[in-house]
Amino acid sequence: MSPTGSSAGSLVDRVTETLKSELSGKPAEYKGMVSVTVDKEQIVAAVKAAKDAGFNMISDIFGIDYLTYPRHQGKRFSVVYNLYSVGDNERIFIRVNLDDGVPLPTITGIWKGASFMEREVYDMFGVEFVDHPDLRKLITPEDLDGHPHRKDFPLGETPTLFNEGRFLDPASFRAGMTGEDTGMSGWTGGSRKGVTSDE
Amino acid sequence: MAVTDLFYKDVQELEEEGILFSTLGKLVAWGRSNSLWPATFGLACCAIEMMQSTNARNDMARFGSEVFRASPRQADVMIVAGRLSKKMAPVMRRVYDQMPDPKWVISMGACASSGGMFNNYAIVQNVDSVVPVDVYVPGCPPRPEALIYGVMQLQKKVRGEAFDQQGVKLPMVEGWRQ
Amino acid sequence: MSKTGNKDKNLKTRAVEAAPGITTYEPRSEREFETKLMRLNVGPQHPSTHGVLRLVVDLDGERVKKIVPQIGYLHSGFEKTMENRTYQQGVTYSNRMDYLHGFGHDLAYVLSAEKLVGAQVPERAQQIRVILTELNRIASHLVFFGTGILDMGALTLFFYTARERERILDLFEMVCGVRMNYGYFRVGGLSRDIPDEFVPATRQFLSDFPPMIEQYKRLFAKNDIFVNRTKETGVMSAEDALDHGLTGPSLRASGVGLDFRKAQPYSGYERYDFDVPTADTGDAYARFMVRMQEMTESLKIVEQALDQLEPGPVKDPDRRISLPPRHELETSMEAVIFHFKLATEGFHPPQGEAYVPTESARGELGYYIVSDGGSMPYRVKVRVPSLINLQSLESMCYDGLFADMVTNIASLDPVLGDVDK
Repeated sequence: MSPTGSSAGSLVDRVTETLKSELSGKPAEYKGMVSVTVDKEQIVAAVKAAKDAGFNMISDIFGIDYLTYPRHQGKRFSVVYNLYSVGDNERIFIRVNLDDGVPLPTITGIWKGASFMEREVYDMFGVEFVDHPDLRKLITPEDLDGHPHRKDFPLGETPTLFNEGRFLDPASFRAGMTGEDTGMSGWTGGSRKGVTSDE
Repeated sequence: MAVTDLFYKDVQELEEEGILFSTLGKLVAWGRSNSLWPATFGLACCAIEMMQSTNARNDMARFGSEVFRASPRQADVMIVAGRLSKKMAPVMRRVYDQMPDPKWVISMGACASSGGMFNNYAIVQNVDSVVPVDVYVPGCPPRPEALIYGVMQLQKKVRGEAFDQQGVKLPMVEGWRQ
Repeated sequence: MSKTGNKDKNLKTRAVEAAPGITTYEPRSEREFETKLMRLNVGPQHPSTHGVLRLVVDLDGERVKKIVPQIGYLHSGFEKTMENRTYQQGVTYSNRMDYLHGFGHDLAYVLSAEKLVGAQVPERAQQIRVILTELNRIASHLVFFGTGILDMGALTLFFYTARERERILDLFEMVCGVRMNYGYFRVGGLSRDIPDEFVPATRQFLSDFPPMIEQYKRLFAKNDIFVNRTKETGVMSAEDALDHGLTGPSLRASGVGLDFRKAQPYSGYERYDFDVPTADTGDAYARFMVRMQEMTESLKIVEQALDQLEPGPVKDPDRRISLPPRHELETSMEAVIFHFKLATEGFHPPQGEAYVPTESARGELGYYIVSDGGSMPYRVKVRVPSLINLQSLESMCYDGLFADMVTNIASLDPVLGDVDK
């Protein structure tokens, strides 16, 4: 099955149009990657529409926590569905923006392969998926409370100890190096912080 | 007979102090050191290098590790190869407890010895906090030759010819008295 | 067929002698037939699970009825740790995830980072990257064969494939100094150029390897035990495979010819002429044979890349991304400043997100990197093939024998560092 030689973006354009018109999706594009943001009530319908149109493989489902993102307006979490069409060789990202504690409907009825992916989002971010067949932690230990990939969950670094009683605190060392925080080293680092594409 | 009772009493007293009979003990230790059978405890990348140390080029079988026993009950040494996550730590302790005495532990690689590059919530920062380690082999991953050198150091330790950092001779066959 | 599988006796009734010479049949009660599924724990420490994979298996006699994989025994917090390291430091983490195809992960990460920052990788660097990635794919498949056949009980093939793998690791050591867990790729190219003896040594390996593939085929491909164990074992249809999100050689063995090197070429793959082997049956035998064929195709790619190799730079000359060459530091002040900033902070890509799908030895691999404009990535999500492929284990093994489950795990080729991230 080789990819058809269709013009770039035809299937993606069609699906984006469908999502924009019927399900109030908001498309965006960055360096060739097309993403459509839908509301959380429409996510199952949006994913189903994409699958019916031709995106027959679910590639990934993951979450992003925008808690410490500079100048971020909007909800805290974003769950991204990465869909791929094997026949047309196109990829689309469908995004949902969520607040903390808001559950999402599951899409395991559409693709069985979404089950581990949603479990991982639950494990790492705490986003619950309603009607998931087996929603429990996937890769963290049972006794770990909390959701590690949230930005307010600490990395858990232990200081590096030297023989003479010296120690290095990795977080402040690194923050000093990268200029985010003076930390123990006192060095302020570079002045370029948070460059956006329009500067 | 009284003489044999005294004999056995002396043996018990000496054993309690950790001193073994010289020639027989040395023979036993020599035999033990030359037939250390590792238990398969390969976790991550170091496990691949451990497997490579048994292949035809770096043959660890010529040092006595003829087979890697899957069952810990038939193994002498546990080579912790790879990063030990906190979820796996109780499992590893249980496998270690299932090994019969005398047993030793080689901590292979940087991640097992100190957490390596993973200074985070998920990795145990030193395997010594779970099982008592005898030999640390540094590297990321250590070459098969380095692992074989580590095994040879353990063999020296088993025979009683090894020295620690301060130059003190380490006692022979620690595993007996546990 | 009743639950115990006994077709010839009618187990619903029992013959009873009512009077001498007369037998009547009285029904057995339902409770005598109650069979329960046995729950077996194939623990994390097990010789045949390819790492620390724990499976809780419900068995009906010898037939597998349900598998629940419990993973996470190798969880190392890669993604969160990579969010606290600069982009160039991320290369040290990416190859420890799938340690058998380390260059594949490095390539995927570096491609995503380059897409974010807008780096132009020179052609020589792309060709060398392809050579090393394909050699690593061959090495990964060699371990797959060695351990796969080892799980089925045959020890010899492991030593044969390890012999070839040692030669490939010698080539890697020539280039980057380490056999495994390389730190050779950089965002913007490579860290240094390849030495002169690499090309003749690789050509020597390329000419020595095809007879070895024939030797492996002679060792196991027609062996009765192997064929009986793997033919019609763990059959996955194409629809089932796509439903589960299966990718890589396991998907190609089910008939879907998806290979991201052909579909969405990256790093110059469109310049090489190679086939994508597929099979129709979707059983374990097909999965083994597809990988055997893939090794031959990888050899073709390496040969073409070696032929096309031209002298040139190996790093993006943009000073904001790559370190300047050492001799410039003696004369130019800007070079010193760039060097200082890059070595301490690292470069700052503009805000945005990037995802480049690549084909690793196990399936679709991609790093989704979200940048906030700082020197460390804001969110790194690795689309790991082994974790997604592991979901299809249950449907592969359903109603098969327990020993077939071992074959299926072996043919699926999971790497637990990849699964647990």
